[in-house]
Amino acid sequence: MDVDYPPQAEEFRAKVKAFLGENLPPDWSGMGGLPEGEREEFREQWRTKLGEAGMLAVSWPTEYGGAGLSLVEQVVLAEEFALAGAPMGSENDTFGIGMLGNTLIHLGTEEQKQHYLPKILSGEQRWCQGYSEPDAGSDLAGIRTSAVLDGDEWVINGQKTWTSAGHLADHIFVLARTDPDAPKHRGITFFLVPMDQPGVEVRPIRNMAGYALFNEVFLTDARTAKDEVVGEVNDGWRTAMALLGFERGVTATTDAIRFRADLDRLVALARERGLTSDPRVRDRLAWCHSRVEVMRFRGLQALTRSLAGSRPGPESAISKIIWSEYAQAYTELAMEILGPEGLAPTGQATGGMLQMPEAGTENSPLSWVETFMAARAGTIYAGSSQVQRDIIGEVLLGLPKEPRMDTGPFRELGKSRTTQAGV
Amino acid sequence: MFFAYDADQDDFRTSLRRFLSDKAPLSGARELSETESGYDPALWKQMSEQLGLPGLHLPEEHGGSGTGLLEPAIVLEETGRLLTSSPYAACLMASLAVLRHGDAAVQADLLPGIASGDTVATLAMAEVASPTGTTGLQTTALSRGDEVTLTGTKTLVEHGHTADVLIVSAAGAEAAPARLYVVRADAPGLTRTRQAALDLTRPVAEVRLDATPAVPLGEAGDLTGLVDLQCALLAAEMIGGTSACLDMAVAYAKDRHQFNRPIGSFQAVKHRCSEMVVALDGARAAAQYAVFVADQGSPELASVAPLAKAEAAEAFTFAAGWTIQILGGIGFTWEQDAHLLFRRAWADSALLGTPAAQRSRLADVIGL
Repeated sequence: MDVDYPPQAEEFRAKVKAFLGENLPPDWSGMGGLPEGEREEFREQWRTKLGEAGMLAVSWPTEYGGAGLSLVEQVVLAEEFALAGAPMGSENDTFGIGMLGNTLIHLGTEEQKQHYLPKILSGEQRWCQGYSEPDAGSDLAGIRTSAVLDGDEWVINGQKTWTSAGHLADHIFVLARTDPDAPKHRGITFFLVPMDQPGVEVRPIRNMAGYALFNEVFLTDARTAKDEVVGEVNDGWRTAMALLGFERGVTATTDAIRFRADLDRLVALARERGLTSDPRVRDRLAWCHSRVEVMRFRGLQALTRSLAGSRPGPESAISKIIWSEYAQAYTELAMEILGPEGLAPTGQATGGMLQMPEAGTENSPLSWVETFMAARAGTIYAGSSQVQRDIIGEVLLGLPKEPRMDTGPFRELGKSRTTQAGV
Repeated sequence: MFFAYDADQDDFRTSLRRFLSDKAPLSGARELSETESGYDPALWKQMSEQLGLPGLHLPEEHGGSGTGLLEPAIVLEETGRLLTSSPYAACLMASLAVLRHGDAAVQADLLPGIASGDTVATLAMAEVASPTGTTGLQTTALSRGDEVTLTGTKTLVEHGHTADVLIVSAAGAEAAPARLYVVRADAPGLTRTRQAALDLTRPVAEVRLDATPAVPLGEAGDLTGLVDLQCALLAAEMIGGTSACLDMAVAYAKDRHQFNRPIGSFQAVKHRCSEMVVALDGARAAAQYAVFVADQGSPELASVAPLAKAEAAEAFTFAAGWTIQILGGIGFTWEQDAHLLFRRAWADSALLGTPAAQRSRLADVIGL
């Protein structure tokens, strides 16, 4: 056994460190250290620099303008950026570069790649995700948004929800039902849809922490061209699942770094209040240290597997449960440490985020209360903990599935529910 | 970067698992626990002579194979999986104490016998008020000229009633730090009594020393490092037990039908099995890292060992408790094996200090 990074990864690390040293402002403490009014401008300029340095689109092959980095190099980059508190791109890049870009590279036509990839990379197009619906959350294949071909265009009707950064986007990838007579997973198609049209309306949803980070997207006779389909018509479930595979990416290997930085803040919070000698707080802080170490060790295992050539599989479900449940536990500890200070919290706000404050954010009671609130989302989005436990149970352990009540043509589903409700 | 067991180590694990499940299935553990020694000497002979297990990690000059600690961790994980009762773990821990603290002469005296399996050695450190047996000791050493005698009572000494050699910790005079001593089984003033233990498959004894002659094991030194080694290896052993719980629960959940369905199809059961996987996976990574840094002799062990021990203990007790629940009424019976794992889980959780005690140690090490 050894836990040393390969020499070429260390060479790459030196390059990344040099880039960060040369390009970050001299007094840089992280995005959280910038005045709120300057953050967006900085983010834009920073993104341009990343693009020029080949540090955006790290997972794309170079032929499409990506950095063509191996997984271990992506991890090194993420580590160094996290340590420096430097952002890796815009919010829409998660969807445009991380999800859609990789999906197009694997499943798109040559025309789609030539057309979309440069625009995603340049920032000319900003993408968001049209997956969940009010009646299709954990049961994503239960989507009701419909798409019907009208001449050379698809006409799309329905409602999407939880669309993160949708208010900042000008394009959306949409799952819509194209064959309601097929079983639910077989009649779905994956569409690319411009949002700058009358049939697309975005309404913000305010989350429980008070921030409007996600949206409802109403599609009313929205149109997209006939060939704006990724994968085959009615085979969009395969495309949808491939895209979710890219969502997993390298997170298992970098969870520990992100949570380590925030645990250091928590220890400082406890120390400032003289609570590190309190036996219960001490026990919980040591427990937090243990969990973050577990994430580091699991990250080393994941990296070892990826160096051996295997893609992340169902063990990603384990990682998701570990970090999201930890996020709730350590922020609950923060509330305990704050006591009454958490009830009328003061100091710097986070500006809204779904995991943890930007580096450089003041160690304020308000930042902790917001992180504590945000942590409730982690066990719900990107596959709830219950969905993850189904995946672990059924895929890893081979336990039998629940009896299905959603077989047969999609059109017929839900009818029995109406009948029962009438009884 | 290769943070995994390599192909040779995997092969070793596979063949050892086959050997143990063939020669010492879990079903025989109950009967064995009722014998006087609490283990099968014929199996131990095979483990020693045929497989060379007790000498794996020992230097070749003392008759060992010089493997390092990863292979012993594999042995512990596999014996932990089947609750194999043998003096392996006792000999391993005692030999590590000898390697760490003993001078060349005492190593040459003790290690060849341990390597061959002819000498069963064990650590006699824990006391009722001192789970690690390194601080707050009631057992004291008295020196008169070149002669040293020990007086006190040790508890939970693994295979203590049958071992040939005991490595005993005792406090020195006038608040001198605890150090280790070698006591022979035939020494005068030594009384050893098998204890009726919670854990049926790990025979333990109370050891009373009454002015019992002993030989110091090398120079006095900090014993925390030895405790950390024990914690790392015990964590590896607990991973085996936790895996056994998971396997037992999942097999039953697939097989047992109620409401005309396998009970494993119900999320109430399935999700508990998945939670066992999550707990096991994290604990396994921690144990693997702990054994890795122990093998490297890295100072990182000081923080990793207590956390690995705590993580493994919490995973094991969680899995053992839910295994009984998933098995239902049958899981509560004497004949079913689940309680053997449950007993082992809770005993291991307390050995060398509970998870809370481990985290307290950890908090000190990381400077909280």
